[in-house]
Amino acid sequence: MAEVPLSAEERDGLVAELALGVLDGEERAAALRALMADPAFTPGLIEDWQRRLAPLYDEYTPVAPADTLWAGIAARIDDADAPREGALRQLRIWRAGAMIAGVAAASLALVLLFRPVPSSPPLPGPAAPVAIAQMTGAVDGPVVLARFDPASGRLSLRASAVKPGALAPELWVIPPDGKPRSLGLIAANTDSQLPVEARLRAFMTEGATLAVTMEPVDGAPHAAPSSAPVASGKISLI
Amino acid sequence: MTSAKLFGICLRISADRDAAEDILQEVYIKVWNRAGRFDSGRASPITWLCAIARNAAIDWRRASLRPGTVPEEAASTVADSALPADRVIERDQMRARLLYCIDQLQRGHGDAIRAAFLDGLTYAELADRMAVPLGTMKSWIRRGMQRLKECIGDG
Repeated sequence: MAEVPLSAEERDGLVAELALGVLDGEERAAALRALMADPAFTPGLIEDWQRRLAPLYDEYTPVAPADTLWAGIAARIDDADAPREGALRQLRIWRAGAMIAGVAAASLALVLLFRPVPSSPPLPGPAAPVAIAQMTGAVDGPVVLARFDPASGRLSLRASAVKPGALAPELWVIPPDGKPRSLGLIAANTDSQLPVEARLRAFMTEGATLAVTMEPVDGAPHAAPSSAPVASGKISLI
Repeated sequence: MTSAKLFGICLRISADRDAAEDILQEVYIKVWNRAGRFDSGRASPITWLCAIARNAAIDWRRASLRPGTVPEEAASTVADSALPADRVIERDQMRARLLYCIDQLQRGHGDAIRAAFLDGLTYAELADRMAVPLGTMKSWIRRGMQRLKECIGDG
């Protein structure tokens, strides 16, 4: 149906149709093929449309699902691989996290994922829910992704656009009491791992904030930050 | 609550309570297994979850090969109560802009786009529901989406 390269109009049309979901069967497959073969196409074009249309999700009336939903999910996850009790427990915690995520979702900072870190071998038994956060600041400022695994007590970090110099990025956890506790200096612009002190692990949970400030290397970890955060974000459990 | 929002999406598109529950279970299992695919730069987590639910429900609908029997449903809005004020404003702005731009579209075009999105209808189902020829519907959607993009004005 479509010549490659596509005209801008045809490309826009197919992208809009795919984002809206009006194509079916062979028509949809043909549209995907045409776009994949088109050098000017990127998946971002469809995502742009999804973002534009996202406010329409507000039009859906929420309907509480039956209570059996969670048991059904747990059973299916159990069937797949996890120990029964563990999956149920994890699911309950995770569901609580998912609800909170819904409420807080539009806050810039919160994020649902961080690619699982393959460094540790698969844990025997159930894994505790993983805490994650995305810290952001100015539009072109640093972005730091954090993933805390309570089982190992380690924080996996991925930092980018941090401008190192005389000062180094220091990571803080700010629990609901509002007092920042230093987790230590972190690597700028690379992936790193940070062990979290046992006394601070309890803070690594839903609702707490992670923040990065630029601090002198001397004396780290510091008792308190000396400057405003360059990036911050709330922790979410998944 | 996220699960009620997602269930609402599954229910409206599938128009079948049992199916909607199955779909929602699959959605959560999918999310469980591939949370790593989420791209924080592009969407909020709730939007991401909604999109997965909508796509799963549409897949079910298309696979179940049933004639279009989606009930009409009055639009209703649920306020987010716990967002920070500036985010509420930004969100409301995006929403207001989209709804304004849909209203600016020619008669029929906006309705078709809303029905396509909210009910997960195909071109054929849309043409059937709105009683216009298939070719007309295709042109409505394409022109409507083009205008919508221009109106929203973000490229």
